[in-house]
Amino acid sequence: MKQTPDLVKVQENMRAGQITGPGFLGNDERNLVDIISEDTLKVEELGLTNEIIACKLEMLMHQGEKGFGSPVNVDNTFIVIVEESRGYIPCPFRHGHLSKKVNINVRNLSTRKEIDYTPISIHLIREHGFYQGKGSIYRLDPVETAKLLELI
Amino acid sequence: MALQIFIPALIVGGISAFLAAVLSIADALVNNYGQVRITVNGSKTYEVKGGSTLLSTLADEKIFIPSACGGKGSCGLCKVKVASDVGPILPTELPYLTPKEKKDNVRLSCQIKVKSDISIEIPEELFSIREYISEVSSIKDVTHDIKEVFFEFDDEIKFRAGQYVQLIVPQYRDIKGETMRAYSMSSQPSVRNGVELLIRLVPNGIVTTYVHELMKEGDSVRVLGPFGDFYLRESGADIIFIAGGSGMAPIKSIILDMREKGIDRNAYYFFGARSKRDLFYLDMLQSIEKEMPNFHFIPALSEPLPEDNWEGETGLITDVVDRYLSSQGALEREGYLCGSPGMINACISVLTKHNIPEDKIFFDKFG
Repeated sequence: MKQTPDLVKVQENMRAGQITGPGFLGNDERNLVDIISEDTLKVEELGLTNEIIACKLEMLMHQGEKGFGSPVNVDNTFIVIVEESRGYIPCPFRHGHLSKKVNINVRNLSTRKEIDYTPISIHLIREHGFYQGKGSIYRLDPVETAKLLELI
Repeated sequence: MALQIFIPALIVGGISAFLAAVLSIADALVNNYGQVRITVNGSKTYEVKGGSTLLSTLADEKIFIPSACGGKGSCGLCKVKVASDVGPILPTELPYLTPKEKKDNVRLSCQIKVKSDISIEIPEELFSIREYISEVSSIKDVTHDIKEVFFEFDDEIKFRAGQYVQLIVPQYRDIKGETMRAYSMSSQPSVRNGVELLIRLVPNGIVTTYVHELMKEGDSVRVLGPFGDFYLRESGADIIFIAGGSGMAPIKSIILDMREKGIDRNAYYFFGARSKRDLFYLDMLQSIEKEMPNFHFIPALSEPLPEDNWEGETGLITDVVDRYLSSQGALEREGYLCGSPGMINACISVLTKHNIPEDKIFFDKFG
């Protein structure tokens, strides 16, 4: 795949301080198209799809929302804490999608590993196959995430 | 030999310079909209330089349209009715506009550019919004993640208890340009020399990180306001206040204002927190309870720690409110809410279940 001029613009939107303070790219120097391609390959190798991963992340977010910031036990497998702030974050692909400002923390009770993500993370995975750049605070490595979510 | 290399390089360089100059001239010509005219509410006319967004152009003329994000297209607050053609609705505006607003040609002023004469309609009260230069006169930690900050102004401010201001923080670290966010005032309107805000640290939040990590007493900060239609309505109805975290701010302002004005309506303030370390202003509110017999403060912890030795209400604040309303008769009530959007939605469900009509439930719209 090729880094089109549109993707160059999107990658610019993703830099620190553009839409969010830390941005979406971390210290990843690769082109956006390469970040997406490499993660797509990982997802395929796992026998999963972006939709499956996004759905599980979304389900856990909805369960956690019931706690208004307090931990929620989901199926005795995960502890989810959802902390909401005011306002919205526009998708860096700039097609009009807005996500609420929410931090979701999911801890797997057996492995004790945890991840943090946001509604925009779910949207970026589902619609754009983008798991964020390496070093980004909300990067969800497909393999590690699938393990933590017990999808593999 | 050297000449053979030098001449082509010179030709290529010359062509590049020529093309750059042509592009630069074309850009200046294409993007130079010259002076344009903005007509507001059919009566006031402003001659402005074209090319910038309507939001920033109006701000230059000291007309401040409410905006919680400062023009980044992420709050949807800066709506104005446009009476002239400014082109089709942009994809970045679509999520914020209702079908009626689209039909009425309501647009986001941060997204449309002033390229030719334009006519708009805005509420008259926006003309009273001002910009204040403030000095940060005190910063206090009220919990582990909420700071109480007082911004002393260069002039007096008049506002209604419950309203909000927009705080503008400068460029810092990787953040490009100034950033603006909306915060409700926690001080009461009788305090005229500035405003007190409660600012909770939002993970990776641009303005809250600045306030919590970089802002210090003596700093100069710009503040716009007052904005908003969240205030105590005049009636004899019982009041149900519900808040959590920094949602305390406008409720505190309203309660202090009620005390000063001698408003003696039955009022119940349900404040939700996770554990004792998230509670604050307990002494002040309990002391107000003693002064105002019809005011009742009910803090509740959703996850009290053993060391909290908590003997008060426990559970989610919605459950606490539900229990209270179930134990009471059907009375005329109004709800005043401030907290996260999820909490507000859940509270609206509880209040409407107990026959409080939606038009009697008030909350900030800048969520």
